[in-house]
Amino acid sequence: MPYMILIAFVAGMLVTLSRQINGRLALESSAMQSSFWNHLVGFCVLAVAAQLSIGFWPPGASAAPWLAWIGGPLGVAFVASGSWLIARLGATMTGGLMVAGQMLSGVALDLAQGRDAVLWMQLLGVLLILWGVWASIRQ
Amino acid sequence: MPPLPSQSPSRRNAPLEIVAALATGGLLTLMLLSNSAMAAHTSPLFSSLTAHGTGSVVAALALLAIRQRRLAGTRPTRRAPLWAYLGGVSGALTVMLTSQAANSSLALTGTLAIGLAGQVVLALAFDCFGALGIQKRLPRRKDLIALGAILAGTLLIIRARGMG
Repeated sequence: MPYMILIAFVAGMLVTLSRQINGRLALESSAMQSSFWNHLVGFCVLAVAAQLSIGFWPPGASAAPWLAWIGGPLGVAFVASGSWLIARLGATMTGGLMVAGQMLSGVALDLAQGRDAVLWMQLLGVLLILWGVWASIRQ
Repeated sequence: MPPLPSQSPSRRNAPLEIVAALATGGLLTLMLLSNSAMAAHTSPLFSSLTAHGTGSVVAALALLAIRQRRLAGTRPTRRAPLWAYLGGVSGALTVMLTSQAANSSLALTGTLAIGLAGQVVLALAFDCFGALGIQKRLPRRKDLIALGAILAGTLLIIRARGMG
């Protein structure tokens, strides 16, 4: 368990590290170039890892719906935007506001899908986040 | 001595940038929806592999489209260090570690909450010291208040799902 806590903590740190590195590349090229290299280098690393474990093309892949294939193209905009933002908002506020947007849209999706969750906690969470975002804009 | 740019009182979070960051977070919700659909059909590793593969192709096309419109000579002249091209390694490792932790007794809820902590701790350290060539910017009081409220709300929402 303590080992897994460390793993989860490091995984979170890697999110910030990746954004910082991509942001640096964007300073000397462009946000889209940083997104391109992020995806290409990540693909190479994952291709090696996949080859070593699951094989390149698992059986279920062909049956996956179109929705399962659009994450990558969306990720291009996600990484490019993060690279652009980090030089402007800093790592803390870029990460914090992205988490805010993720949670607000996540709750909307949960509600739309009728997913089981404690409603009052979700709504209180949304209010806290909205207040936080407002606090970051206020002079 | 002039004040450091990072400590200038006139520095403010522009509304456009805040809206862009929120929208980018919304994009992440859609990405997770898509990537977890692929993971359910295959595995988290393959899901991330295809996302990076299709992303590389789309980003390459976008670069070609941009290049055709951009005039020669407007590109930055400085060259980025080699390590700046390795952000993708970190991203690839994230997937492997996260899927390992989410399958442990931490479950997805615990993995998300602890991951959030790791993300914030390193971001604060980066901003305070100005790491990897990105400008140092000490978080202000209102940034920390905003961050605290966002994190508290996020933990409530993650917990609300875990108890659902």
